[in-house]
Amino acid sequence: MSKENNKRFLQEGKYVMMGNVAMSEGALAAGLEFFGGYPITPSTEVIEHLAKRMPEVGGVCMQMEDELASINAIMGASLVGAKSMTATSGPGFSLMVETISMAACLEIPFVFCDVQRNGPGTGFVTEPHHNDLGLMRFAGNGEFGVIALAPMNCQELFDLTITAFNFAETYRCPVFIISDAYLGHLHEAINIPPKEEIMKKVIPRELPDNFDNKFTYLDPTTNKYITPKAPIMGTDYVPIMFLHQPHNPNGMSSRRLALPFTQMLIDKIKLNMDKISLTEEYKLEDAEIVIISYGLPVRTSYRAVDIARKEGIKVGIFRLITVWPFPDEKVKKVVKDAKAVIVPELNYTGIIAEQVERVTKLETPIIRIPKVCDFHHPNDILEKIREVVK
Amino acid sequence: MVRYEIRIAGFGGQGVITLSKMIITAVSLYENLAATQTEAYSASARGGRCWAEVIVELDRNIETIDYPQALRPYDFLIILSGESAASVNPDFIKKDENTGYLLWDPSTIQKFRAVRQIKKALSIPVQKIAVEKFGNIVFGNSILFGAFTILSGIISEESAIETLKKFVPSSTLEKNLEAFELGKKEALDFIKKLKEEN
Repeated sequence: MSKENNKRFLQEGKYVMMGNVAMSEGALAAGLEFFGGYPITPSTEVIEHLAKRMPEVGGVCMQMEDELASINAIMGASLVGAKSMTATSGPGFSLMVETISMAACLEIPFVFCDVQRNGPGTGFVTEPHHNDLGLMRFAGNGEFGVIALAPMNCQELFDLTITAFNFAETYRCPVFIISDAYLGHLHEAINIPPKEEIMKKVIPRELPDNFDNKFTYLDPTTNKYITPKAPIMGTDYVPIMFLHQPHNPNGMSSRRLALPFTQMLIDKIKLNMDKISLTEEYKLEDAEIVIISYGLPVRTSYRAVDIARKEGIKVGIFRLITVWPFPDEKVKKVVKDAKAVIVPELNYTGIIAEQVERVTKLETPIIRIPKVCDFHHPNDILEKIREVVK
Repeated sequence: MVRYEIRIAGFGGQGVITLSKMIITAVSLYENLAATQTEAYSASARGGRCWAEVIVELDRNIETIDYPQALRPYDFLIILSGESAASVNPDFIKKDENTGYLLWDPSTIQKFRAVRQIKKALSIPVQKIAVEKFGNIVFGNSILFGAFTILSGIISEESAIETLKKFVPSSTLEKNLEAFELGKKEALDFIKKLKEEN
């Protein structure tokens, strides 16, 4: 597989693209070399597009016999040094969780795009429903940290997919892209930056400088976790022990390592929150009412905030681009003096509202605006803002 | 914020989705306006009830469409099948000046009740002309695109022609441009007629 392939990058310029295609192009720009997947609405355009594009860039797009085979195939490809990803939707995700847990244990880098659809069960397959966020956070047995990024337009589907691959390479943990049936099928203009600009951003998969440690370890001098580059099998860099049990930085297992190992899987992400946690603030400086959200609902919140501001209501938005790990400290700061918090989400439970509740004072009201198979019109949010002021 | 709401409805295979993609390409790549497009999915796009929507932001200072679904009343409605015509209500269309157009195809729609109450309704037997004059129904899209360009006034002719070049194979470009001109002419005559009536 050739890593230096010019066809990997679309020519610089403006394109009209479907969300799923923009995500796929982002993956190619990030150096995707192996895609393993099984078509499922509403993620099918990803595999459709990559089936055409991957051979052009010297990569492989493989339609497997099912979701289990897909996720296992991308793990195998990642182990031999190919940047890998899969894309699926809720029901496919459910089938993949066993291997996600295994990959987290072995610290295999991969990117997972979940184009969410309505559930449970089969659900309405072409309708958006952010109901897999819990699944992303807790997919698989065992305790481990994950990263999940939530784009809100086609441009971000491209840009954040590159970021997702970089996070996967850096922290070697499961990295999810939170898309949905609506965003995945939306057509919008996107700007493809020049190749050189993209290449500057991309963290390549290459052999580590030293072979002392193959897995994340705690540096005793700085007391920080160091994640070496992922090992590449089939090179001089041998032997590599891959143990699906708590293990030391070389892959050797021991029961006594269970606690420090679990701690490592979680803290290697937690202690790098400053780099991983991407957020955006909008008119928050003097805000008494804070809207906290991610993905499509944020997109529609801006207009609601602008109108409310004209009416003299002090309201602002705190946007989560990185949804997992949840930025406890940042949210604590944002909601400290808030009179109310509004959390519009494309689900009924309020998966993120629950997280906000965890870090908010008990007396602060947290107002959910649930939507399922539908999404918020700015007026839905505006009405709630006005209600709160009353 | 000046949203321009477009909806196209017909049955799968008529070019509903292609036409919507031509519109969004023209407005976002050549007119540099913010726009989004959404379309019917799966089985419906391949023969059943098919629809597509495009929202264009005419205010150049706004870079994104916050709510990417077309809202009634529409600025522009294109109806290409009897089934979709049956569900149209005159209130679906804006009544303001210079907007609120209905474009429909009498060669595929036998009965269109609401049309009598819609003032700015232009009927072009697109499918019939495409087959009789150009030999293939695929040319219907260029006729519609020509009419849309003139009536909506949101894309310049140059942008529309650039878009056509991007969408049609070069071997059929001439025929498509002819079809485009035909649609344009129908629209210009219609505008003239509207003016005379006033």
